[in-house]
Amino acid sequence: MSLLNFLLRCAVNMSILMYMSKAAEKTPKRPRTGARAKNGPGKREKNKEQTKERILRAALELFKEKGLEGTTTKEISKRSGIAEGTLFNYFNTKEDLALYFFQKETDDLIAWYGKETRLQKAPLAEKLFAIIHRQLEYLAPYEEFIGAVFYRSLQPTSTLSPLSLESQELRLKYLRFIREILAEAEEKEQLPRVGSLGAYAVGLFYIGVVTFWLQDRSRGKQKTLALLDRALNMGTQFLKKGSWDW
Amino acid sequence: MKRAHSSVGRAARLLQLGAGLAGSYLGYQLQRPFLREERATRQRQALRQRQAQKLRQELQDLRGPIMKVGQALSMQTQFLSAEMIEELSALQMHAPPMHATLMRAQFKGAMGKYPEEIFRSFEAEPFAAASLGQVHWAVTKSGEEVAVKIQYPAIREAIEGDFQALRAAGLAVTLTGHFRKAVIQEAERGILEETDYTKEASNLEHFRKALAPLEFIQIPKVHRQFSSDQVLTMSRVPGLRMQEFLKANPSQELRDKLGANLTRLFFFQLYCVGALHADPHPGNYLFNNNGSIGLVDFGCVKYLKPEVIRCYAQFWSREWVHDFKLYTEIIRVLFGPKMSPHEPRVRRCMNEIRRFYDRYHPFDQGPRILDIGNPEFMESLGDLAKVLLKNNFLSPEFLFLSRAESGMCNLMHILKSRVATTEIARQWRPKP
Repeated sequence: MSLLNFLLRCAVNMSILMYMSKAAEKTPKRPRTGARAKNGPGKREKNKEQTKERILRAALELFKEKGLEGTTTKEISKRSGIAEGTLFNYFNTKEDLALYFFQKETDDLIAWYGKETRLQKAPLAEKLFAIIHRQLEYLAPYEEFIGAVFYRSLQPTSTLSPLSLESQELRLKYLRFIREILAEAEEKEQLPRVGSLGAYAVGLFYIGVVTFWLQDRSRGKQKTLALLDRALNMGTQFLKKGSWDW
Repeated sequence: MKRAHSSVGRAARLLQLGAGLAGSYLGYQLQRPFLREERATRQRQALRQRQAQKLRQELQDLRGPIMKVGQALSMQTQFLSAEMIEELSALQMHAPPMHATLMRAQFKGAMGKYPEEIFRSFEAEPFAAASLGQVHWAVTKSGEEVAVKIQYPAIREAIEGDFQALRAAGLAVTLTGHFRKAVIQEAERGILEETDYTKEASNLEHFRKALAPLEFIQIPKVHRQFSSDQVLTMSRVPGLRMQEFLKANPSQELRDKLGANLTRLFFFQLYCVGALHADPHPGNYLFNNNGSIGLVDFGCVKYLKPEVIRCYAQFWSREWVHDFKLYTEIIRVLFGPKMSPHEPRVRRCMNEIRRFYDRYHPFDQGPRILDIGNPEFMESLGDLAKVLLKNNFLSPEFLFLSRAESGMCNLMHILKSRVATTEIARQWRPKP
């Protein structure tokens, strides 16, 4: 991916997300839960979720073998054992599937962080390192697929584009999650008040890291590890100095 | 900002440093025509000292792999002025520390599994910083206590980047006569070699075997199945580091015993192994109350040419004083094949060497105990090094050897040992 593309993406992301930041702040941290959510999802919804996951698993296997472009809906239907017609009830396009993959990834990340009690007490730089590293680990088996998705998301008509409504929802979830972690650091005075802007900075940084990671051919993706570590250390230390008044 | 993390930041600082040094040098060059000879020399010396201090300060602020450059440069004594060496030798190596998450990720990248999958237990907090990484205690599944050295990720690439920056900065710095191309190339080769832990594992195994006859020396055993080029797992060697060891206030008898053992270790390595554990840093030695010594960190090992060792042995046995043929041979090894033995600077060096050894390690007068804790001895050793450097004493291998010798003397000096050095030297002879 060329640098120009990347910068363009960042600019688009930034402007949209800054606008959305107001929305992120206004929305209450814990969304109101209905009676149904309290008792867990209903049976029908559970079934629906299971089918979706089955399709995703089959699709990911195929993407790994044949790439995103080379895989047909027919093949996904055959591999998952779900009729082609029914398939469209769940996912209209392969991009919808990709979006679902990222939703799963974000849910997994948030659930994992909730259980990591040691990490929750660690310094901010380590927390952010662990979060981004966990995301990369999740993506690792599907590297080629992620590369293809990245390319697709540059097209404004794609559901994966940062301009699409569908992807905004996912993004907001991620940003709120990061925002909470930063807010905690702000309270402990490890960080000056950065507000939602900090979460966007982390989000953009993550996109940059993924771009780097996709190109990183070093063993065990060591260069990415070093980049992450140094950049986060530098970033948090720079902010700690309080040279910027937000 | 004191610490520079990114390679761009570091390159910028190096460039700044180069520019700064070149600037002050140019200032001096401008003034020179107006200065009298004597004053000019004094001024030049003061300037070099300032530059040396500045260089060390900058290198210290940079940390990371570039620190290693400073260390390596301090070894390349033949290319540097005496003031520079003094400043550079104050450097200590610090790789950037890794937090538990990064350490685990790096371990998995190097070994394919997380540490807790390989070991029964693994301490997430490192107990020591090592060259280019850090060391953790662990227990293997079979119950053996081990030390696991883990390298910081992509350090090789970082070093290559630093050297690129150094070469760019060198453009300005070479103006001041501080760096030469050969120095930088040699330093880079040496450091890159140290980034390969399999090499260190081989060194460990070689020395463990070769030093087996010395029962008072303990060298860790390598666990190859838990090691790679970036992870090195070794058995735990008992003993305390110098500072902790001295806290218990060991008896003079024990200090003398350790000193004698260190001397034996030195001669045995030199004459029977032909190679030296080349990092005489006190942190690489572990001391025990029974007089045994643990040796760790074999990243830097120097194999020496037999003629250099033979030549060095002559300093102790002093046969060359009466044997002109032997004397010319020594001159050839130390100063190059074309050097005349009558050259004044050669004679100055050889006289100084003779005076030093006659005074402290007299060979002909029976056993004599040398009090190495006496500061006078260390001063004389320093003076000898200064005379040799001033007279362009130019054998890199030999300088390496004398650095190892003064490293050993430094250890014994801290220990305040009294050792019958000549007697021990007499027991060993270089292999024919």
